[in-house]
Amino acid sequence: MADEDDVMMRKIARELRNPVAVSSSFDARVMHAVRQLPRHARARLWSRLTTPRSVTVMPLSWGILAASLALFAALGAMHASADINRLKPYANALFPKNNAAKPDQRIQFVLVAPDAKKVSVVGDFNGWDASHVAYQAQHRGGGVWSVTAQVPVGHHRYSFVVDDSVWVADPTAPRVVDNDFGVANSTIFVQEQK
Amino acid sequence: MSVAARVLVALILVAPAVVAQDARLAARLDRPTLVAVNAIVDSARVAKLPTAPLVDRALEGVAKGSDGPKIITAVQQLSVRMASAKRALGASATSDEIKAAAAALDAGISTHDLAQLRAASGKRQMTMPLSVLTDLVGRAVPIPTATTLVVQLARSGLKDPEFALFQRNVRADIDRGADPTVAATTRARGLVQRTGTGSKPSE
Amino acid sequence: MEGSSDAVIVSRVLRGDVDSFGVLVSRYRDRYARYAFHMLGNREDAEEALQDAFTRAYRSLARCEDPERFGAWLFRILINRCRTLGARRGRRARTFVVDEVAILEAAEEHPADRTAWREEIDRALERLRADQREAFVLKYVDEMGYDEMSQLTGVGVSALKMRVMRACERLRELLSEVHSG
Repeated sequence: MADEDDVMMRKIARELRNPVAVSSSFDARVMHAVRQLPRHARARLWSRLTTPRSVTVMPLSWGILAASLALFAALGAMHASADINRLKPYANALFPKNNAAKPDQRIQFVLVAPDAKKVSVVGDFNGWDASHVAYQAQHRGGGVWSVTAQVPVGHHRYSFVVDDSVWVADPTAPRVVDNDFGVANSTIFVQEQK
Repeated sequence: MSVAARVLVALILVAPAVVAQDARLAARLDRPTLVAVNAIVDSARVAKLPTAPLVDRALEGVAKGSDGPKIITAVQQLSVRMASAKRALGASATSDEIKAAAAALDAGISTHDLAQLRAASGKRQMTMPLSVLTDLVGRAVPIPTATTLVVQLARSGLKDPEFALFQRNVRADIDRGADPTVAATTRARGLVQRTGTGSKPSE
Repeated sequence: MEGSSDAVIVSRVLRGDVDSFGVLVSRYRDRYARYAFHMLGNREDAEEALQDAFTRAYRSLARCEDPERFGAWLFRILINRCRTLGARRGRRARTFVVDEVAILEAAEEHPADRTAWREEIDRALERLRADQREAFVLKYVDEMGYDEMSQLTGVGVSALKMRVMRACERLRELLSEVHSG
């Protein structure tokens, strides 16, 4: 009896061990979902090492305080620029057509991140360097962080960096994927104030 | 052999005297990576492609903690995408359009789609429509649907601020739980009705 | 990259290389899809539980204490996901999707016989108590030792042995019924 039972169990087990195929889009779906999450970043550049953790980021519509801030649209709406090129973008020297003739525009970046201790903006307008004090956001209360920075006219990629370790795309801005470095960035198209 | 390795081997064989062309790159990249990236930038300059995005891409990689080979690959891929973008958009394409189109290609939008959008936009700048198209695709609107909608909007003469508003509304709808395709289609339909369908792009 | 150990890949992902997480996904997806499928009874639920487990693993990756054993840590997450999803969907009728690829590749019996037999097993498995099914699948399908099973499930070894025994008894009952008469 026992032998027969063993045989039966082995038959069952062998049958159940057959592979179960997942759908062909499974990997892509998982990676798509994973890329929406705050990215891990044990930075080697920054001297302070912080443990990566997930950061709560809320849509702007939830921040009551956010509604009371003068918010710039992520694209299009500009304020008149004050000083030209106080923080001279390095890239000007490398543009084949010299864009330095067009003044930088003041752009306000806003992120609702209640758990954050520090929020900065990095992008191709500041060499992706979070250490510039001009790109550190201030906490305005209620988990709302904002900074107004000089951004040259043109199409730019950028991101928020929370606590020097977690990269967060701007929830309100148009997004671009990044298949090479693996984290979605935001884009902004700054146009000259007419 | 990976793209990065092939580039490195080619450079070692040619052994040029390399002058650091951007101080930030020299400060942040190790020598082999610097040599490779500078070579890619030089080739792009010869091909009359914008070079600043390539430098920025390398700096982005550094900031994101990527290693040399990954940075080289990313810079090379961007260069390839910008070349494709320029071919699809035409020689008069601006740097911003090329940058935005390269991002669109990265998201899976085809050069055929880019050419369609070029035709629909007429003489108007494509940077904003391209950003919006890339965003929709990134928010899980299927590429054919997103392309059709944006081309329609462009053809109807939608201006940049209206494109921006369209993107914000779709994003807000999705945040509130709407299906991305439904949100995009509904918002686009409203705009096309307002501006008039099928009208030729204004000069 | 594909040959790298889990620990190497985990550390790359923690430094911001999201793409490398894809290697871990393809490394573990088939094996754990099988577990999820047996626990939940259909491919759709299995894929949902598995996708959920991967995203949770990614989110809390910094808390994985032993990256060399990432697979086991991921498995623990999946086991919990299957418990939660299983409980939530307990009442729903299950559809049994037999894996056609596996069927076609099977050398031995006539495909039609195999399908029928496989359906019987799946149905019998579904009729087990969830905790017995879990123990049975880990022991017989994933071929784990009891100590390892205990670490993964949080259940004591003797309790696990009891559950496996009961599962085997029940399966024998259900499947002999089918074959007799």
